[in-house]
Amino acid sequence: MKKNICMPKLSEKMESGILAAWNKEVGEKVENGEVLFEIETEKVVSEVESQESGMLEAVYFEAGDEIKVDEIIAVISCD
Amino acid sequence: MIYIENNATDPFFNFALEYYLITEKNLNADQIFIFWRTEPTLMIGKYQNTIEEINEDFARNHGVKVVRRITGGGTIYTDMGGWQFSFITRGQAENIDFNKYIEPVIAGLEKLDVPAEFNSRNDLVIHGKKFSGNAQCILNGYTLHHGSLLFKTDFEQMVKCLTVDDNKIISKGIKSVKERVTNIFDHLREPIDTDTFRQLMVESIMQGSKKEYRLTDEDLERIHTIAKEKFENWEWNYGKSPKFNIIRTGRFDGGKMEFKLDVNKGKITDCHIYGDFFGSIDILVLCHALIGCNYESQSIKIAIAQCDIKQAFYNIKVEELADIIC
Repeated sequence: MKKNICMPKLSEKMESGILAAWNKEVGEKVENGEVLFEIETEKVVSEVESQESGMLEAVYFEAGDEIKVDEIIAVISCD
Repeated sequence: MIYIENNATDPFFNFALEYYLITEKNLNADQIFIFWRTEPTLMIGKYQNTIEEINEDFARNHGVKVVRRITGGGTIYTDMGGWQFSFITRGQAENIDFNKYIEPVIAGLEKLDVPAEFNSRNDLVIHGKKFSGNAQCILNGYTLHHGSLLFKTDFEQMVKCLTVDDNKIISKGIKSVKERVTNIFDHLREPIDTDTFRQLMVESIMQGSKKEYRLTDEDLERIHTIAKEKFENWEWNYGKSPKFNIIRTGRFDGGKMEFKLDVNKGKITDCHIYGDFFGSIDILVLCHALIGCNYESQSIKIAIAQCDIKQAFYNIKVEELADIIC
């Protein structure tokens, strides 16, 4: 099963966030609870943990990209 | 809430203290509060491009320290005339919340009759001028909120540190926003000194609580190690910058010279040199020497020294060439 990972909404007024850094690469194994990437919005840096275990199959953005809330950032193919 | 008195003014140590409390030390407290200051320092946002934000030559020549924060936002200048406050809270709010950390600060200032307000950029202002920048990070299950308070900061030095050469840099990192600033001291009805201001603010924010934790020798040893290994490290302060392209131009009696560089993780990954006085000399030798080297003056000088530049560039010294590149 494939799961889309989207830009989370971290505050009422948040419309988009910057994908600050990837902690995983395409093809890498991801465990539930591991940090997948970091985002920055409104001067807050947040670690975003994976809610799934599986393999990071695809990423659609690179570090520095501004991404709208709910836009798909990556796909995990679940165990 | 537990208070930790921290009189260190070394920014590397002070950031290491926050980091240590978040990642290693479990104080078994819901919230920790620290009120601290630094020697002249430029604090860069976690995902900023350091060389794009600061006047590095001025900072180096005036002993201003440069350190990357673990929180978001832009670059600020701090000195012994200002204060920083940190709240380290266990857990993470569902929504980003600045108010709960800033309200106690505003309340403390109100006691001094300072009319502080919160603006839409999460900064604190007096009559529209900024005197406090605030930023957060969510790390290891903790929320760190820290902010600055300009009390009697040297604005002339601040402006010089933050006035960047007009380099052509293309990058995706977080950019700082320039705002008009003001010192709290200029808005006090009764003048007080910098230390009294600290005492009053800490008392107000701690609301009379005397709960305090004193750092042990063991704590201090670990914090010093983190300061040295992480926050004082070139890789953290410069190497972690997002990738960028930079164009640097220099002029000599003989003509003009332009370097177009790609820099990723602090290292030069591609280099093109343009000029009108090279003649038949192969400049690829210099390009090759520069690729892979850290985008930093000393590394560049070493790389150039390996090439026989006397032959390639008449009357140009290694130092002059390095100054153009970085």
